[in-house]
Amino acid sequence: MKPAIESVMRKSPFDGLIEHAAKVSECVDSLDSALHAFSSGDMENFATMKRKVENLENEADRIKANVRNHLPKSIWMPVDRGFFLMTLSEQDSILDYAEDAVIWIDLRGKPLPPELRSEFERLQNVVNATVHEYEKAVNNLKHVLETSFSEKERAETKEYIHNVHRLEHDSDIVERELTKKIFSMEGKIGPVDIWHLTHLVSILGDVANHAENAADRIRAMIAK
Amino acid sequence: MLATIILLIIATAAAFYMAWNIGANDVANSMATAVGGKAISLKQAVIIAGILEMTGAVLLGSHVTKTVGKGIVDLQAVGDPNKVIIGMLAALIAAAIGVTLSTWKSMPVSTSHFIVGAVMGFGLISGGISAVDWVVMGKIALSWVISPLAGLFLAYIVFKIISYFVLSSDDPVKSAVRGSPVYVGATFLVISLSLLLKTSLGDKLGLSGKTGLAILISVIVGLFFGIIGYYLVLRASRSWGKEKDRYVSVERIFRKLQIMTSCYVAFAHGSNDVANAIGPLATVFQTIQTGSVVGQTTVPWQLLALGGFGISVGVFTWGYKVIKTIGFKITELTNTRGYSIDFSVATTVLVFSKLGMPISTTHTVVGAVVGVGLARGLGAVDLTVLKNIIISWAITIPLAVALSISLYMGMAYFLL
Repeated sequence: MKPAIESVMRKSPFDGLIEHAAKVSECVDSLDSALHAFSSGDMENFATMKRKVENLENEADRIKANVRNHLPKSIWMPVDRGFFLMTLSEQDSILDYAEDAVIWIDLRGKPLPPELRSEFERLQNVVNATVHEYEKAVNNLKHVLETSFSEKERAETKEYIHNVHRLEHDSDIVERELTKKIFSMEGKIGPVDIWHLTHLVSILGDVANHAENAADRIRAMIAK
Repeated sequence: MLATIILLIIATAAAFYMAWNIGANDVANSMATAVGGKAISLKQAVIIAGILEMTGAVLLGSHVTKTVGKGIVDLQAVGDPNKVIIGMLAALIAAAIGVTLSTWKSMPVSTSHFIVGAVMGFGLISGGISAVDWVVMGKIALSWVISPLAGLFLAYIVFKIISYFVLSSDDPVKSAVRGSPVYVGATFLVISLSLLLKTSLGDKLGLSGKTGLAILISVIVGLFFGIIGYYLVLRASRSWGKEKDRYVSVERIFRKLQIMTSCYVAFAHGSNDVANAIGPLATVFQTIQTGSVVGQTTVPWQLLALGGFGISVGVFTWGYKVIKTIGFKITELTNTRGYSIDFSVATTVLVFSKLGMPISTTHTVVGAVVGVGLARGLGAVDLTVLKNIIISWAITIPLAVALSISLYMGMAYFLL
């Protein structure tokens, strides 16, 4: 049996959550590089970045499993454990969709038609910004915990969450515009290309959607 | 005559071994929070524990020592001085064996619980059920339940106060500096009260019966050290550069305050735990000295000093390793949390020392950690540990009673 002092003090599961969020961020950055390669027609570089996305997804999975495995029922947390686990799970979905996106591109193996490039990069940027804003919200949990849920730090976190909502809304608009543009190219590109690209846009939109969902879980978690 | 001297030597050796064990194993549980929070280095922890365990033992160790040595068993009901000597010796050796076993198998056993069980066992076998003072035993049992809860409750309040007045304020660093005279003063107020109210030291200073005066002096002492503490904290905080993260500076202030509370914890621990070694020895010593069963006399300070010395030796020779091991593992505690725990533990233990109740410091620490956790101060606390505390009571008492009874019977067979 471990000394009582040691067994009562558990490693904070929030450290794991924050560590996982950092991997999410890193993975989404790699996704961004992969998408750049895809849109500029550099499929060799795309393959490299795709592997990076997959590796990061794997590493994040290990962190997630570790956090979950160290949360038996006897652990008392300062927040609702249900909301905590939902946050972790939504955060993990961001990675899943990032991975889906690179795999979906790889399955067809064709670069982006140059006409779509500028709109596509707009979508890419706003999705990336949404996830990074989400990461700020997660990171500020450190201060929320340090101050034992002070009004000020909770307000700061909610501010980031608000920004995530705004950015996600922007991504919806860009997503629609881009889809419209893709459909407008009917005839110039084949029907399978259209289907492949519209589906890709939808996957990228889901990356931002899940960042928003995760942010909402954090808001529920830190609500008084 | 020779037999008595040999018995006395064995009793002293057993008591010293018990004291050594307390220093080697138990001290770590109360010092590790400060080491883990990097408030003090391992070397400083050893020096602080070495000096203040001894100070606490000598100045305030007599209350619990009396309870263990003369309160649990009605010695008059046992009657025969030889039985008393052998009985207390049996209890000491039983506790020494039990503590060694539990360290070896790393069981969650408290020396306080073991010695109480062992002394009770000797009372039962030598004088029957009526020889045990069940009122005292009832109080002790109650104190075992109350002490972790008191640690929990106090730590909850202290941490809530810090989080409300410091961590949530607009300028946490300024609030921490401003609050420092309270955090320092409160500590010295409690220590001063414990030293002056109803103690031989208080009597020597002409304060017996003058409770009001003792309180007044304590308030002045608290104010005095509060002001000194304020200037020390102010000076230290000014010498630091501005941190990007304001909470880092707040934790640094509490890191300074934790140096003080770690001294406080060591002092309180010494005042309670020295009895586990010296309680039975004091009775053996006084029985041999007077040749009869003695009543409620004062405990010679030399014996308390011997116990305190034993604890210090334990810390120097072995305890430092245990402090290091545990300290490295509990880095989760930041200094605001560590301060809340240390202050609450030391205050709880000190109050129980004054009441003469031999409690487990470790269980009080556990209670305090849970208290900070419930106050939303920690990312996670494992509540199974509360179940383990109850298991430890269930294991320790029967084991201590059985071991003590068998040793007593064996020794009585040869010596009486």
